[in-house]
Amino acid sequence: MEFDRRGFLKIAGLTVLGLAAKPGWELFSKVEPQELVPSPETLAKKRWAMSVDLKKCWSVKGCRDCIDACHRIHNVPDLGTLKEEIKWVWTAPYENVFPEHELEYSEEDYRHQPVPLLCNHCDDPPCVRYCPTRATWKREDGIVMMDFHRCIGCRYCMAGCPYGSRSFNWRDPRPFIKKVNLEFPTRTKGVVEKCNFCEERLSRDLLPACVEACKEKALAFGDLKDPESKVRKTLQSRNVFQRQPELGTKPKVYYVL
Amino acid sequence: MVQQEAEMLDKREKIIGEDKILFEHIWKTGKGFYVTVSILGALVLLGLYAYVTQYRNGLTVTGLSRQIFWGVYITNFVFFIGISHAGTFISAVLRVLKAEWRRPISRASELTTVFILLFGVGSVLIDLGRPDRMLYAIRYAHFRSPLLWDVCSITMYLTVSSISLYLALIPDIALLRDLGGKREWFYRILSLGWTGTESQHRRLERAINFMSILVIPVMITVHTVVSFVFAMTIQPLWHSAIFGPYFVVGAIFSGVASVIVVMAVLRKAYHLENYIKPVHFNNIGIFLMAMTLLWFYFTFAEYITIVYGNEPVHMAIFWSKLTGKFAPLFWLHFILCFVVPLPILAVRRFRTIRRIVVASISIILGMWLERFVIIVPTLTKQRMAVEGAFYMPTWVEWSILAGCISLFMLLYTLFTKVFPIVPIWEIREGREKAVRMVSERIESYLPETDVAPQ
Amino acid sequence: MYDGKKIIPGLILFLGLVTYPFWHNAVSGKTGYIPKPKLPADKKECVEPKDYIRINHKNLLDGWKESVVRKGGTIYMASNRKRYTMSLNRTCMNCHKDKAEFCDQCHNYMGVTNKCWDCHIYPKQLEKG
Repeated sequence: MEFDRRGFLKIAGLTVLGLAAKPGWELFSKVEPQELVPSPETLAKKRWAMSVDLKKCWSVKGCRDCIDACHRIHNVPDLGTLKEEIKWVWTAPYENVFPEHELEYSEEDYRHQPVPLLCNHCDDPPCVRYCPTRATWKREDGIVMMDFHRCIGCRYCMAGCPYGSRSFNWRDPRPFIKKVNLEFPTRTKGVVEKCNFCEERLSRDLLPACVEACKEKALAFGDLKDPESKVRKTLQSRNVFQRQPELGTKPKVYYVL
Repeated sequence: MVQQEAEMLDKREKIIGEDKILFEHIWKTGKGFYVTVSILGALVLLGLYAYVTQYRNGLTVTGLSRQIFWGVYITNFVFFIGISHAGTFISAVLRVLKAEWRRPISRASELTTVFILLFGVGSVLIDLGRPDRMLYAIRYAHFRSPLLWDVCSITMYLTVSSISLYLALIPDIALLRDLGGKREWFYRILSLGWTGTESQHRRLERAINFMSILVIPVMITVHTVVSFVFAMTIQPLWHSAIFGPYFVVGAIFSGVASVIVVMAVLRKAYHLENYIKPVHFNNIGIFLMAMTLLWFYFTFAEYITIVYGNEPVHMAIFWSKLTGKFAPLFWLHFILCFVVPLPILAVRRFRTIRRIVVASISIILGMWLERFVIIVPTLTKQRMAVEGAFYMPTWVEWSILAGCISLFMLLYTLFTKVFPIVPIWEIREGREKAVRMVSERIESYLPETDVAPQ
Repeated sequence: MYDGKKIIPGLILFLGLVTYPFWHNAVSGKTGYIPKPKLPADKKECVEPKDYIRINHKNLLDGWKESVVRKGGTIYMASNRKRYTMSLNRTCMNCHKDKAEFCDQCHNYMGVTNKCWDCHIYPKQLEKG
């Protein structure tokens, strides 16, 4: 073909047509619907952990902000009896949480101070080993997850947890929920539940409810793999300890005194 | 017509032979039977009502709590699986050891095993918070969990025991088929064409021997795996290597005691005094005494290592058992399992049938308490006992326990209405062949002589 | 036929009882009933086209459950390229507000039971108290 303006326009037109074929086809065709899930590698890039600054926590007596926030947004029922209580976050006296810390002759008396307790989201969780249906498992980002759809209520995970972090629904919890939060399901009778590190909030880039609710900023939460994260910063200071480290569970909740 | 009837009667007489009493409990139904069935039936209905209450309201109707979340049901589970070891021991182990005195009691014990295993499994299912999801343990099976190991081993045990029971039942079913009557079609189907020829007997013998040898390691595995449910956790006083053999010994202990009670009841109710004799009770009583001592040894070894180590976390629970909250139950179980049975079983003069049964009942109660005392004190988590844990089982749990035991007895009783409880063909084999076989065997142990036998 | 006087009426009665499910609807005049779920007034498009989702919503929700709970996913890319949050409450019930007026209309008719609502709460449920 003689390469004049016309020829150029013809070739240019064909080129544009060729280049537009694929995107044009995609634009007007239906795609296979897809659930977008993060790959395990993406999840494993983070390792969530929490640290509790005990001195800051003790500066306010009788505070229950973290507990109330967690239980409110997760529809945790208030059953009112020791027998049936369900608690995701709670407190216990220091001497019971850390009996191995000899406090007989210590100067400060914090034996009876309340220590906030929750699921430690261990790196080597015993509870995950015992579940017969894998209703609880460790996610790649370190959170020990609960699948309420699959739990058969055998309570073996409760027997496995050395920290007593898990609660069981002995009866239908709905009548005992003060104010239902629509954003989160309730549970039925017969399943085990525990703190989930607010994974539904983490997926929306929010901090866990307890961390947000603490007015003294005693709870620090973040990614252990990120040296600049808040939790890593707190671990560089003072006395840092965990609950029963000798058990080899590698808990991810640190206590800073 | 009369001649045919006479021939029929003749044939019946020949089949029944001198063992009429072994058939009678199938044909004769006395008042005692109806009374027993009614009482057991009522208790079963009570248990059923208790379970329905629990299904509808959740496990809140039990005495379980956030602190003590395993109680009577898990105790029942371990206890029932423990009792199931009896059958295997008496029918399989004694068969392998060629102990001829096992003959009249082998089916009664095998039956105990098969039926009580159902309640062992049932107790776990009753304990589940979501029993409607019980099949998830199979659909989403996580084999790293000791509960799954339990599922596998107990299923295998139930299968092998049922097959053993059935195989040993076939010649007797054939006898009942040959007797004719209304149920002849039923026995005919189940007898699988058994005609009692030499070659059939040989094949049956091989099959039963195979099953007997197979079931022994399975039996040991089963209760070891049940103990692993506790031993594999890191809870104080549960995390112990001795749990495996401890539980197996405890199982055989409680199981043999149960079989003794079953034997005594059957003997009385069905007038089997001629077949289940004092010598059977004596032999099994001696074995039970050995098990008592063995159980004591394991218990002693377990507790002395705890005491000597003196670790605070373990000692807190240890003292709660010996002198604290659980002391009454602990010492009661020790008295029932050891102090009461040992003198009865050890002194020959005391080894009468009645006293052996008393010792056995004491052992059965004591062993239920032993399982309870193993499970519950550890859960009080003495190392973090802020909340004052307290466990008082409710009427629901006791009713379900009563219901399970009653249903077991009911099924057992109904079985004896359909099949003979003493294996007739094994007794006859014993009469006809065993005497000769045993003397030949003994002669083969002794040195050869040049002198011709007299 | 021996005992014919008893057998034939008995047979007719038996056949009548056995075929009851088939002729009951015709006789009671309810064959014409079509369930009418109340559709949301403002939204015209569901996550997937109506025909697909009417048949497949169970599988869709099961897939969402797997992804959200067990795999940590949150976004669903629909066949119309739009992205939705995988949530029964925040997506589905955001439009179809009332289970009784929407879901139950067909489910009751078809005799479908599901346990979703044992845990998940739909918006109107709270208003009813």
